Amino acid sequence: MIQPQTHLNVADNSGAQELMCIRIIGASNRRYAHIGDVIVAVIKDALPNTPLEKSEVIRAVIVRTCKELKRDNGMIIRYDDNAAVVIDQEGNPKGTRIFGAIARELRQLNFTKIVSLAPEVF
Amino acid sequence: MAVSATLSLAGAGNGAIFYGEFEQVGRVNSKLCKRPTKHFDWFCLNGHQILHANCYWQIPRNGGKLQNFKSRDLPLPLAYGKGAKVMTYLQNVSEDTDDMFDDLFRKYGKVVFRSNEQKPPTAEVDDDAESLSFAVEMAKVASDVKAGDIKVLFVKPLVYWTRFFIIVTAFSRPQIDAIGSRIRDLAEKKYGKVPSGDTKPNSWTLLDFGDVVIHIFLPPQRAFYNLEEFYGNATLIELPFENQPPFRG
Repeated sequence: MIQPQTHLNVADNSGAQELMCIRIIGASNRRYAHIGDVIVAVIKDALPNTPLEKSEVIRAVIVRTCKELKRDNGMIIRYDDNAAVVIDQEGNPKGTRIFGAIARELRQLNFTKIVSLAPEVF
Repeated sequence: MAVSATLSLAGAGNGAIFYGEFEQVGRVNSKLCKRPTKHFDWFCLNGHQILHANCYWQIPRNGGKLQNFKSRDLPLPLAYGKGAKVMTYLQNVSEDTDDMFDDLFRKYGKVVFRSNEQKPPTAEVDDDAESLSFAVEMAKVASDVKAGDIKVLFVKPLVYWTRFFIIVTAFSRPQIDAIGSRIRDLAEKKYGKVPSGDTKPNSWTLLDFGDVVIHIFLPPQRAFYNLEEFYGNATLIELPFENQPPFRG
């Protein structure tokens, strides 16, 4: 359940460290975003000497949420943090590697590039 | 762990419905559903003379539902002449099932879940071979459109979600488009597969056929993402045709 003003960790090596959601892409007045949704976010914290800088506005895909993700088979997945992966306008990730576990729902939502860079897929 | 199951007895004569509940203490197994059936058949036939025919009982299959089922949800508690006898009988059932489960655990270990759709190992090998032939065919098509540095990786031992990766380099966006459309056409015509993934040419175009995932890169993106290194432990498949060496700009 990510909404504007939510702070998220960054799960890739793009150089951004912390994001703040400012808009959810989808419907006009969408309240919450879940795993696999694209958000517009602002970088609140970034590593020095990387392409991304603080206060830059970027797009990101949510890959982990503290809010439970329910699957049709009854499985419920809940992560310890809210995390996102920075992407560009074409949907390519800005980083080259993803950190931590991600959900397989991302593949069905056409984020197979992120899935193929991830070390673990649940 | 306590499991409660509902017993419903519908009287044919007077239409009255009696509900009972029993509590069973012990380990839970899917076998639980089968075992008490026998007892309740007996219970229905011999325990209640006034209730005959239309005698049925049910246990909710879902474990979660079992937990939530409380006696207060039932319209009529089992306050009945033979109730005591039934309860003692059920106690025996729980002891009996405990022993039974102990035996099963000793015999099979603690099997939590086993899928009914277990494929024989030969089917798995067949699937691999089918995917391999598809992957090699796709790599050949990419080679026909002059894609460079084609690599087919067997990634099944590393990731569960696919079997083969095909990584190719194209040198311009029109070429990416050409490779993508040729691959899509052949896959649809010959194999009846439609890929998901990118539809427009992109600097990293991905075509996802399920068992085979095709990555088409521009040279800078291929160096940037360096997928071969990430999947360095994957087996490289030898290709039957002449492969162009990596592009050195």
